[in-house]
Amino acid sequence: MSSCVLDDLIALLRNFPSCRYSGALDAHIYFFKDLGMASIDAVVLAEMLEQFYGQKFPFSSFMKTLQEKSVRDLQLQELAEFIEKNLKVS
Amino acid sequence: MPHIAIDNERFYYQQAGSGPDVVLIHAATSNMALWMFSGIMEALSSEFRVTAYDLRGHGMSDRTPTGYTSPEMAHDLAKLHQALNLQPAFLVGHSFGGVIGVHACLNYPETFEGVILSDTYFPGLSRIEPNLKKIPIWNKWRDLLGQVGTDVGEEVDFQKLFSMIAELKSEQMQTLEKMLDPFSMRWLTSLAHLAPTSCGKDIFSEAGLSEEKIRSLKKPLVALYDEHTAFSATRDFLKEHLTHCSVDSVPAANHLAPLENPNAFISLVKKHLCISLQLS
Repeated sequence: MSSCVLDDLIALLRNFPSCRYSGALDAHIYFFKDLGMASIDAVVLAEMLEQFYGQKFPFSSFMKTLQEKSVRDLQLQELAEFIEKNLKVS
Repeated sequence: MPHIAIDNERFYYQQAGSGPDVVLIHAATSNMALWMFSGIMEALSSEFRVTAYDLRGHGMSDRTPTGYTSPEMAHDLAKLHQALNLQPAFLVGHSFGGVIGVHACLNYPETFEGVILSDTYFPGLSRIEPNLKKIPIWNKWRDLLGQVGTDVGEEVDFQKLFSMIAELKSEQMQTLEKMLDPFSMRWLTSLAHLAPTSCGKDIFSEAGLSEEKIRSLKKPLVALYDEHTAFSATRDFLKEHLTHCSVDSVPAANHLAPLENPNAFISLVKKHLCISLQLS
């Protein structure tokens, strides 16, 4: 995975309105457990990422897949990998 | 972020797709993330213009001290519909979202085409519905709070539940954190924000949506109840007394069909939207 997308994600999270986490952000940080995010924050972050990259991402399918696998949290690395996989090259 | 001002309050919403308008209404204590996590927003957007929003006091919408009864939240919905310049819309309401949907269809018949209910309990039908106490979400939280020494009692009382969550001590929160996954823990703490509001009382008030008023609904209503629903008496009442009511069941679900069986839920919602809107 290129570190570029992860860097973008971390930069967005540093300015995220409801992020109460003050430690260093890296690939292994968990979205809900470490950052203290709520479900609605996932919707807001998805929207921020779409604005940042100027494209839509299949977040709904991604979240549904996690739900079906009973995955109850995800690391920033996993989210960055999803973004990179679906990023359209301009 | 897409917020829209309605009567000086800000409501958070998202839209996707194009076609006939469909508005998704989440349950009390939930937020519009439900629709993203279940995949329904994306699934419907190929055929419909889908709007999802956070009810007042929920998610990213403004929290007000009062204004959480079904007619008040139906008014919010009608204003949102107007502000977004939508066409007459079909509604999909989960749990209390269905109560809002029915009230909206009755009070704004020019604005809303009909409603799909997902496992909805109506305070106005409490006379015929004996199973409110069996609602899994209530029992889950009552049992969990009981394990940290907080007794919310036998009667379903969300106002009391919100207040007790707001008053949990740090050691109780730490114990709960060990028992719950991070996602559920964040949801639990979010309920404390509703403690200073009238939400817990308002959502269980009849608020004009009496048995007689429900029976007067002439718009299409789809009673989509979960296979293991506690509210079969409500479902049967709707089937028997409403002119344009069809009934369907979501397999392997117990009040949280959009999350417990999203594929079946999406498929049934699509099916009934196409039938109701006479789409091929």
